[in-house]
Amino acid sequence: MLELAFTLADGLEYVRAALSKGLGIDQFAGRLSFFWAIGMNFYLEIAKMRAARRLWAELMQPFGPQEPRSSMLRTHCQTSGASLTAQDPYNNVVRTTIEALAAVFGGTQSLHTNAMDEALALPTDTTARIARNTQLILQEETGIPGVVDPWGGSYFMESLTASVAAAARTIIDEVEALGGMTRAIEEGMPKRRIEECAARRQARIDRGEEVIVGVNKYRLAEEEELDIRDIDNTAVRESQIARLKRVRSERDPKELEGSLAELSALARSGTGNLLEAAIRCARARASVGEISSALEREFTRYRASTSAISGVYRAVAEGDEAYESIRSDVEAFARAEGRRPRMLLVKLGQDGHDRGMKVVATAFADVGFDVDIGPLFQVPEEAARQAIENDVHVVGVSTQAGGHKTLVPELVKLLREQGAEDICVVVGGIVPPRDYAYLREHGVAAILGPGTPIPEAAREVLEAIRSRRA
Amino acid sequence: MSSELPSVAGACERVRAGDRRTVAKTITLLESRRPDQAARGQEILEKLVPYTGGSLRLGITGAPGVGKSTFIEALGLRLIEKGHRLAVLAVDPTSPRSGGSILGDKTRMERLAQDEAAFIRPSPSGGSLGGVAERTRETLLLTEAAGFDIVLVETVGIGQSEVAVHSMVDCFTLLLQPGAGDELQGIKKGVLELADALVVTKADGELRRAAERSRAEYAHALELLRPASPHWTPRVLAVSAVSGEGVDAFWEMVLAHRSALEAAGALERKRRGQARAWMWSLVHEGLRAAFDGHPAVARRIPQAERDVEDQKATPAAAARRLLEAFLDD
Repeated sequence: MLELAFTLADGLEYVRAALSKGLGIDQFAGRLSFFWAIGMNFYLEIAKMRAARRLWAELMQPFGPQEPRSSMLRTHCQTSGASLTAQDPYNNVVRTTIEALAAVFGGTQSLHTNAMDEALALPTDTTARIARNTQLILQEETGIPGVVDPWGGSYFMESLTASVAAAARTIIDEVEALGGMTRAIEEGMPKRRIEECAARRQARIDRGEEVIVGVNKYRLAEEEELDIRDIDNTAVRESQIARLKRVRSERDPKELEGSLAELSALARSGTGNLLEAAIRCARARASVGEISSALEREFTRYRASTSAISGVYRAVAEGDEAYESIRSDVEAFARAEGRRPRMLLVKLGQDGHDRGMKVVATAFADVGFDVDIGPLFQVPEEAARQAIENDVHVVGVSTQAGGHKTLVPELVKLLREQGAEDICVVVGGIVPPRDYAYLREHGVAAILGPGTPIPEAAREVLEAIRSRRA
Repeated sequence: MSSELPSVAGACERVRAGDRRTVAKTITLLESRRPDQAARGQEILEKLVPYTGGSLRLGITGAPGVGKSTFIEALGLRLIEKGHRLAVLAVDPTSPRSGGSILGDKTRMERLAQDEAAFIRPSPSGGSLGGVAERTRETLLLTEAAGFDIVLVETVGIGQSEVAVHSMVDCFTLLLQPGAGDELQGIKKGVLELADALVVTKADGELRRAAERSRAEYAHALELLRPASPHWTPRVLAVSAVSGEGVDAFWEMVLAHRSALEAAGALERKRRGQARAWMWSLVHEGLRAAFDGHPAVARRIPQAERDVEDQKATPAAAARRLLEAFLDD
């Protein structure tokens, strides 16, 4: 519901922006394209896509489009990354198939299917092939895509579509009342709502109210090892730096400076075509970083507000045995130690996936930790400094983009060098099981893979702290 | 190992040398609820008292979303450019029902947090408001001993915490949103009277004119109030943390405030008064803790509460009996 409403509200904002630049509605509206994530709630996902088309057509009418295409919602879909599990990962092939099917039933124009090992690492050629073949099988073996809106007329589906549309409409009206999506984002409303929703879901999963096969039900006694892609971060980094150096040495500095200055000037004046100017910069071999810096000089940098809210996880988890037990354990720690266990959560390097971190922050605070949140894109030096300055017991590194093998050992080393060996480091997120040993050898106290219930994660972190000070 | 207590002399030396880790560890001791740790923190602080008092103490408050962190970062970076060393302490009065706090200050002051000349320490609330504020005073002294010559104390403006912060700083600034003039009616007059300066934030882009208008309205409203100090008339400024406009003017105003007070000998009087009030507040805190922890009192409380609820005793009589139980012992 949130996804549907916020995406359409976003679309409205784009339409208004284009109109304010003097374009006619029919000149661009037909070119707009949307993007849905498709999760495991099968009927609801189909209804979402149907409701989206209906709502969009309604939302467009006030702009007076003449072309029918202008009121049509085109969309791409990707099967949900969040539904992939690190445990018993073969199950993900089935999940992706069901999600892909929902997307096709919902009438997507194009589709991205995830590979089964993406909760563990970047996909291998084999798993990527299976993901692609999932689409080919749907497309060429089943006849499913041959019917437009096959659910149309089903009483159940029509009624679900109507109620989804009505609920989304309420949220869209709320956003519009705030002054549109840009204002709402500035105010932090969408991010807050999404994070709240994620924390609530985590609590339901931890309680087993939402079943995930192989994670909170029907777990394997022993996980089979999967052959996954290994990436040598250092090598990638070095080859990228070498490439960048080569590009920089071969380009014409005058042309480069000129095109970047022109881009900055355009940004300042607020007239003219920024994209065109940015393309000229790219032709002069400016890097993405240089192009965005040229814009930043005028626009300054957007910074996401990090207002994680506590209490959301607790509201659902309260009364759960595992939750209550870890809470009283944390209280016991706080009494013995003179303060609550304090954890700094960081994202290191080029890894902007911070929703997992927010869920963990909320849930750990509800369990009784004091949680500091670090800014995105930190380098290990900054994280170490913040850990020391705030005098935390533990640093939790949330990793989603594969940088853990270089960045985490570096953080451990820096803490040691600064006499803070009593601050332990734990890692959560996407870590291939075969990296576990490597990370442990490099001083990581605990590794919490995806699907670790919060109470269990909190207990491991608490144990890591206790054993460090024993 | 942080479970061991550091030696007092060694810690003092390292704090004075500005050692970040020791400063951080000592703050933890001061904030600790474990009596042995808190006592060690006090011991260290006591030794450091001769080296305190050397900073300009600036309090900043405002409603959530007013742009406190952004303003503090813009100001802080400017001050560091001028060669100052800056400590930022946060009093967070939002005490959750149970559970821990989420502390995101450094995310909102990303560049300042990376600067060598800055020390930012958000403190979890997790207890009584008064208690948190007392710990912040102690931390303030500690950072002074560590050589920070400007200390900013930040708090979310929700009433009580502002009074606490006001009582530990030289200059108290209230941040306000540009826009509706009737916003002023939402602010308690009491808080307005505490302020040495009002700053209208976000004076840039679309809000620039609104900010200027608000500035004029607040200035007008202030004229109706009697200044709290005979030596200083509170001023109203519009500032943009994004463009940096007004940040220098704000700092000049803070300095002007300081020299005005110094010239009249009022700054010293203010600090002496604050120290005296602080002592009394600790006495009251101690009395309350002794009362709450008194076994004879604790035994009588349930009955006293029932009597009052059932109107069998007047609250005054019940209170007198509890106090007698406390004092008899």
